[in-house]
Amino acid sequence: MPELLEPADPRGGSGALSVAPPVERALQTEPRPAARVPATAPLEPPLVFERVSKWYGPVIGVNQVTLELRPGVMTGLVGSNGAGKSTLMRLATGQLKPSLGRVRIRGLDAWSAEAKRHVGYCPDVDSFYEEMSGRQFVEAMARLCGYDRGAAVRRAGAALEQVGMAGRAERRLRGYSKGMRQRIKLAQALLHDPELLILDEPLSGIDPIGRQEFVALFRHLVERGKCLLISSHELEELEKLTDHVAIMARGRIAAVGSVAQIRELLDDHPHSILIVSDQPRELAGMLLRLSDVIGVELAEDNRLVVQAKNPKRFFAEFTRLVLEENFQVEHLETLDDSTHAVLGYLLGGGGR
Amino acid sequence: MESGQEQLVTIGLQPETSVLDAVASSSESSPSTVRAWCYLVWLSMQRQARARQMVLIALSLLIFTFTLVALNTAGGRWTMHRWRAMRGGPNFQQAVDHMQAGAAVASAAAPLGTGVTEAVLTAAQRAMDDSAFAVFSRWMVYSIFVGFLLPIWSLSFATEALGGEREARSLVWLLSRPLPRPAIYAAKFVALLPWVLGFNLGGFGLVCLAAGEPGRQAFALFWPAVAGATLAFAALFHLMSAVFRRPAIIAIVYAFFLETVLGSMPGYMKRISVGFYTRCLMFDAAQDHGLPPPERPSVYLPVDPLTAWTVLLGVTAVLLMVGMVVFARSEYCEDV
Repeated sequence: MPELLEPADPRGGSGALSVAPPVERALQTEPRPAARVPATAPLEPPLVFERVSKWYGPVIGVNQVTLELRPGVMTGLVGSNGAGKSTLMRLATGQLKPSLGRVRIRGLDAWSAEAKRHVGYCPDVDSFYEEMSGRQFVEAMARLCGYDRGAAVRRAGAALEQVGMAGRAERRLRGYSKGMRQRIKLAQALLHDPELLILDEPLSGIDPIGRQEFVALFRHLVERGKCLLISSHELEELEKLTDHVAIMARGRIAAVGSVAQIRELLDDHPHSILIVSDQPRELAGMLLRLSDVIGVELAEDNRLVVQAKNPKRFFAEFTRLVLEENFQVEHLETLDDSTHAVLGYLLGGGGR
Repeated sequence: MESGQEQLVTIGLQPETSVLDAVASSSESSPSTVRAWCYLVWLSMQRQARARQMVLIALSLLIFTFTLVALNTAGGRWTMHRWRAMRGGPNFQQAVDHMQAGAAVASAAAPLGTGVTEAVLTAAQRAMDDSAFAVFSRWMVYSIFVGFLLPIWSLSFATEALGGEREARSLVWLLSRPLPRPAIYAAKFVALLPWVLGFNLGGFGLVCLAAGEPGRQAFALFWPAVAGATLAFAALFHLMSAVFRRPAIIAIVYAFFLETVLGSMPGYMKRISVGFYTRCLMFDAAQDHGLPPPERPSVYLPVDPLTAWTVLLGVTAVLLMVGMVVFARSEYCEDV
């Protein structure tokens, strides 16, 4: 059973995949009023989203997300640009306030200063205090955490060593490569030894050797009981890091669990596919013979809506059938947004 | 070259050592919010030093004004000697000279009664000779400095404190630290004060220095009012940088329209401008040195110094608190 739990659609909406009982229900049976939560409640999870929605004016960034992260787990957050990953991370780090719902870190409101002591954040922005050297910047961040000069120097040194920048930290930030800047961002997130690390696209701009090092570092942090939430728009990249993945699409968490579990669920999950062909009746007859097709609905304008399981196998058989029987297919579309997104990632495409 | 450098990283990376390991053995004091706040003030003061566009504009204005004042001083134009009652007519000095010449002729013909004429002309000559302070104060200090330079110089620094961070998208580094948001806003304001006070008072001092004796007198009398106005302007423009994404533009619009136009309105309308209270303090200080307000009190409706100070300092405090609340509640999603 994976530690990461999430009902993608609280209403049990179409296409939402879940690999474990929803946290939402557990939360409903165990109400935890904010006022009663002690500041350092040891049993509170590192990060909890409770029915969180976030609007930017009329645009919805995150839609009814309920999610709980636990210590010692690395969770990959995957989704295309605009899927809501960065919004989710900014909510978790107190950069944004939820329009609805609550984000809590160890029982504390994520917006509060106290909660930020538990969080290390590696943002996706590439702006620094460019006039500083890497070491000066990390030391400045340590001083802003409230450490005295000696402690800041020690912590910055250790963090820089941890990310492999100890020997190159004296140069000015404006002269750093993208990879070096990523390392400095990671160093400032690690320096106060937080329980929760929110890393927005941390492997972006890192070369393959560097990626291996980062993977080793992240695994080491997890072994030490840290909770990591790492975003990426590449599932393959995240699969190398962790088995726990949440797929985001259009502000919702479309699926959550291990990649294998998601694939398995997706195979069992019937989904709708729209096909437009010049011979809809003949094609419908042929499709019904396929083992993964549950039903076919004939619509107007040469349209077919096919209910099928095991999408990977279905699409392979469908392609073979079309080629062998020489059907003209004008349009092919997965109708379910969430399923479409999950499919997009699992089959190596995009999907929003 | 880059790949070579990245190769070095393989050797340098130490995933097995953590920050916790590195500091576990050391006797480290626990982190303190007060210490973090003090450091933020120091850091912000250092970062405020970076010359940006608006500060360069402020410096250019200072150099231009200094040059203009110095040229006027060199040309002896701060007194009323060259003023004319009508276009094309004689200037005041010429008029007095002519009248003195006429009085001399008249006194030769009829000595009785010329004493009054001579007394009047001597008084007129004395008034012209002593007019430098009045002319400099009215034209340079009350109008150009208070109405234009002071707000522009203030906004050059005050909109940069937070606005610069927002523009550079570096605000995220502050907002992700365990510091209360109101404390971040207050730290930025405190860090801004030495710069804006230094520039405004220093700039005023330089302009006064360029004016010679009347300038020295003006600086001695007016610097407290300049300091008070600087505080109020700094708080106002700092608040604008927390509210608006382009604070410099909004602040310039405010300086040109509200301060200039409303500051010149008759009646009570001008009382919503910072410049009004600054001028009231200046009028009061200058009055003791024989310089009456340029307008009749019944028209200008000045307030007493206590009220002016209360308003300037009260506005500073209120705007600072409003800014802290606004900053604490605002999301800067486009800037982080």
